[in-house]
Amino acid sequence: MQQLLNGLFIGSIYALFAVGFALVFGILDRLNLAHPAVFAASAFIGIELVTVGGLPFWAALPAVAVVGALLGLIVERVAFRPLKGRADAHFAGLISSIAVAGMLIALLQWRYGAETRRFPADTFPAVRFDVLGAQVTLLQVVIVGICLTLVVGLTWLVARSRLGRGMRAVAENPTAARVLGVNVDRVTATTFAISAALGAVAGALFAMNVNSAQLGMGSAIELKGLAVIVVGGMGSLPGALVGGILLGVAEVFAVQYLGSAWRDLIAFALLFGILLLRPQGLFGGRRARQV
Amino acid sequence: MTEPVLEVENLSVRYGRVEAVRDVSFSVAEGSLVTLVGANGAGKSTIINAVSGIVRPHKGRVRFRGADITRAPAHKLVARGLVQVPEGRQILASLTVAENLAMGGWHRGRGAARTIDEMYQRFGVLAERRDLPAGTLSGGEQQMLAIARALVAEPRLLLLDEPSMGLAPLVVNEVFSVVEQIRATGTTVVLVEQNARRALRAADHGYVLRTGEVVRSGPAAELLADDDVVRAYLGTA
Repeated sequence: MQQLLNGLFIGSIYALFAVGFALVFGILDRLNLAHPAVFAASAFIGIELVTVGGLPFWAALPAVAVVGALLGLIVERVAFRPLKGRADAHFAGLISSIAVAGMLIALLQWRYGAETRRFPADTFPAVRFDVLGAQVTLLQVVIVGICLTLVVGLTWLVARSRLGRGMRAVAENPTAARVLGVNVDRVTATTFAISAALGAVAGALFAMNVNSAQLGMGSAIELKGLAVIVVGGMGSLPGALVGGILLGVAEVFAVQYLGSAWRDLIAFALLFGILLLRPQGLFGGRRARQV
Repeated sequence: MTEPVLEVENLSVRYGRVEAVRDVSFSVAEGSLVTLVGANGAGKSTIINAVSGIVRPHKGRVRFRGADITRAPAHKLVARGLVQVPEGRQILASLTVAENLAMGGWHRGRGAARTIDEMYQRFGVLAERRDLPAGTLSGGEQQMLAIARALVAEPRLLLLDEPSMGLAPLVVNEVFSVVEQIRATGTTVVLVEQNARRALRAADHGYVLRTGEVVRSGPAAELLADDDVVRAYLGTA
């Protein structure tokens, strides 16, 4: 039970990270590899807002989301928009987003140095309680709550709102969207901003959860996020949620019963297993890609 | 005579080094139905796309209701009442019929809801299928959806690009009767068609295009009655 809950906590952060990833990938068909760098940057910025800025956790988190959204706008503007007219825009954007990620990490290193940073010990009240014999901290409950709320909110936004409709229209046929009066550049930029804001919150929560932020934390989660998108079904938001939680649970169980060296092996083997059974991913197939 | 809704002066469009449209001028009077006819590759769609801001003209000027819109982006023109039904319909296949219609009202907010209801009354098949993905509709139904979606935007000038393309003869009749109804309600229409004979019968005024240039123009009835025009340009239609 304890392991299941621990898996759920880490998995919900993976899910939040992956959902942001999947939003740009699934909706706009762009793989934004600067997403992990925004994730890492936001952890450091969150820690600075609390330690230097003196903000309480509750205020720091929305601030981190705003900073993340701004970073998302910059990434779109620098790495993707100048290339959008090219026939190989997908691949070119992927490469240029890696470049932006590298620059972002270099800026972090310049500002914060190479050592691990932490939130102050009193950032969050150390309340614990029992759930069916397992120990749960208030922080963990809050993390799951925030992640689930954001993922559900995003799913609603995409499926039901005017903006979501515009995103899907741009995704399917940018020219048709323009003809209908949609400002395609603006919808694209907004999608990047929302995606990055979610990645930023995931970064700050991750750093809270493991009580450390490192420059390499983005690349550690990058592959997991990609795997979760593929397993969930390319670009499916519910798929990214379920895939993220599944990965978190699998990791925790692997560490518990086989040792930490087995963590990635077991987790990724499980994901491969799912793909063998359902090549389209857990929630894939509903929306076949149009040519 | 009132001021034209649309005036195109000396329009040229280039794709790379190829001049797809060369020095084309025409004007469209308020409430009229004007057609641009010509073979495939004559530059008809390019003209439509240049007018609606999808492609940038190389030279020339486009005026809509007195204002210069030559360099205006497409998304601003829709809000001003210049709406296109693009070639190949371009419906959003993965969105539902209802969502497609809602996209037509992108710039209108809640005001579009009533127009959407009107479209459901006018096009019964769309009402029946409103919750289905638009990609499941037949070609003719998709064309009706594309037209209805454009009407939700409340156009003052509707640009129709090849609405009869790829449709069965009976459905073509339906499309043309819808176009004539739209015009009858006072909306100005520019119709681009390969089916020239049919388009000229519906139109007030026609322009015949060949390899990017206007080769003949005049009242549609006169073009239809002109043996030279029929032989040279409408022979196969």
